[in-house]
Amino acid sequence: MSIILGKDDLAKYPFLEEAGTYVRESHFDLDDFNRSEFLHIIERASKRIEFALIQGKVFMDLEKYDIELFTFLVSLIMMKYIYEDSAIKKFSLFEAIRVERFLISDLLKEKDLRKKNLLISRIFRELFQLDVDLDTKKNNLFKMNISNYLDRATQFNEIEWKLINRAVDNGYVYLDVDETVRLIRYEIYKLMYNKIKNMNITKIPEQIRFHATLIKNKLIPTIKYTKNTTDLPPCIKKALEFLNKSENLPHSARFMLATYMLSLGKSIDEVVSLFQNAPDFNEKITRYQVEHLAGKKGSQTKYSVPACSKLVNENLCYATIDCKGITNPIQFGRNRK
Amino acid sequence: MKKEINTKNKDFLTTLFKEYYFKNLGLLNPPIQMPNREFGFMTFDGKVIRHLSFSKLGSLKAYIIQNVPSDIFCSNAYYQFPTFPINEKGWKGADMIFDIDLNDLLLSCQKEHTFYICSNCNVVSRDYINQCYKCHNTTILKNTIPCFRCITSLKKETKNLIEFLKKDFGIQEKNLEVSFSGNTGFHVVVCQDNYMLLDSKSRSDVAGYLMGRNLTPESFGVRNDKGGYRIKIPLSGFSYGWRKRIVQRMKIPVSSDHLNKFIKKIGGYPSFKNEIDKIASEIGVKIDPQVTTDIHRIFRMVGSLNGKSGLSKTICYDLDKFDPMTDSCFFENDKSVDISINIPLKFHIKGKKYVLDKSISSVPVSVAVFLISKRLANVANYSS
Repeated sequence: MSIILGKDDLAKYPFLEEAGTYVRESHFDLDDFNRSEFLHIIERASKRIEFALIQGKVFMDLEKYDIELFTFLVSLIMMKYIYEDSAIKKFSLFEAIRVERFLISDLLKEKDLRKKNLLISRIFRELFQLDVDLDTKKNNLFKMNISNYLDRATQFNEIEWKLINRAVDNGYVYLDVDETVRLIRYEIYKLMYNKIKNMNITKIPEQIRFHATLIKNKLIPTIKYTKNTTDLPPCIKKALEFLNKSENLPHSARFMLATYMLSLGKSIDEVVSLFQNAPDFNEKITRYQVEHLAGKKGSQTKYSVPACSKLVNENLCYATIDCKGITNPIQFGRNRK
Repeated sequence: MKKEINTKNKDFLTTLFKEYYFKNLGLLNPPIQMPNREFGFMTFDGKVIRHLSFSKLGSLKAYIIQNVPSDIFCSNAYYQFPTFPINEKGWKGADMIFDIDLNDLLLSCQKEHTFYICSNCNVVSRDYINQCYKCHNTTILKNTIPCFRCITSLKKETKNLIEFLKKDFGIQEKNLEVSFSGNTGFHVVVCQDNYMLLDSKSRSDVAGYLMGRNLTPESFGVRNDKGGYRIKIPLSGFSYGWRKRIVQRMKIPVSSDHLNKFIKKIGGYPSFKNEIDKIASEIGVKIDPQVTTDIHRIFRMVGSLNGKSGLSKTICYDLDKFDPMTDSCFFENDKSVDISINIPLKFHIKGKKYVLDKSISSVPVSVAVFLISKRLANVANYSS
């Protein structure tokens, strides 16, 4: 007996082929969104976007599949209209995290092995060409071949993703659910980003445009770090470049940047504002973390800027000739005239 | 580093290398997908010629006989256009390559048979010099004659690498090629489809894995927590790879309690980290990571002579029985050559022990080629 994904699954994974087929087969016209009965879907899509772009939260609300599929479609159209690249990146990241959470939960809770395998097959194998198997003999761990793992894991700078810190055996890497799903976050993000970027719509319905404009007006303009950066060490410059492009920075790079800026005597507000362009920016969390690093929260310990040797290990070092002789980024430029 | 050698030595080696290739062309082992590889050569004048391609073994052999290079290299990579500049070659994949060299083993005996040689006047010193005391030249070559202990250690390290590759990376025996480099090391080539397309960053991670670099206590579920630590054994356990090796070495039964007791006993998180680092660097394979990471490297070709020793890069079908100084030496012992020795030497070649003092000696061709290639002797008299 063949097994297929249910409609509830499509609600969680609206980027799957079946979801597109459902929308196409419903003979739905874009102009239908101008009708009043679709207003709640547009409002829901607005909320989903505002959660990501303004509140920095993941929208985890889950409705019936048809509502979810149309909400997803509308939110993509709205993002296309909003157009700003940093906003699209931020939204794509939050959508990726939403999918990640549903997927982890489904893979953990699903008792039916065939259903679980189907999900793995549809999302990992078909969508992202990642050959993953569930090894029931080995604690229900997920296994993938080493090259597949390396292709993805080398994008992360964190030391925990180095192959040596993984369970490796006979050509395979064994991962738990969270780790396996985390490995494809970037691919889900890219999928979302490309869906929005490649969307070709000649005329966006008025009702969608109206709500998208409301969101656009609420968006904080992209902050660029405008200070003359020639006196900054290359590792810090690189981190700022990433933030200015709204790219996701690894935790270790955020730690380095915040402790460095605090060591220069920047205020908590100034340091917090630097992270405003991070795709997952949440002011409350960022403020707490920066205050913690400044020794104003928690253990009251003021954290030091990591040494160059640590940054080298974390792949955060972009040393230039001007770094010669320094062992910590704070020493950069001290002897230069 | 290779510098131009004197004319008499060069003529001698050219003659003998040519003779080797005439007699032993069959030993040249063409790489798979030969037309897609880049070939490179080094001349006895120290010049490197790269970006060549040969579609057939016959044309490669003809080139070798005609030009008699001191060294022959072939890319680990497969290219669409092997003769184009590096960025335009159209990279299609590369064998995964490993180099285990004596210099990386840091053996205590190495000092006893390492020589520092002036590239200009061939003055030899057993002590490290950065300038020739005779001609003040600052280009100093370092040469080693591996002793029995060196070879044994190199073989042990090579076996360690092979074990890692088989057990952890699932490399099949048929896809592994182990060879003596022709000088002071062993080469291992992995030609298995699923590793061909790895980029340089991934290969660097593979090298780090084999060398035991960056292993963290967190990998064992031990986290630094406010100056102390907490333990949560990972779901993937300690039954595989590095975790298994470290836990076995530490002799810790796999449970949170045992691990906790062990960490407490040795002094907490930082001591546990130091212990892991120490064991990892002991067990890790001493490879040259730059070789493994390079996806455009030209690597010495099997069956070719190593210009730094006159020995051949030879496949080792049985590593235990393999004796580099015999099995890689293809020059005959039936003719003699007068050579002047630059420093007193003791060594074995083809099962025979040689003790030479600092004077002119009459030695078999095999010994002369070896010592002249090593810059430890000069031709005094030879007639082919």
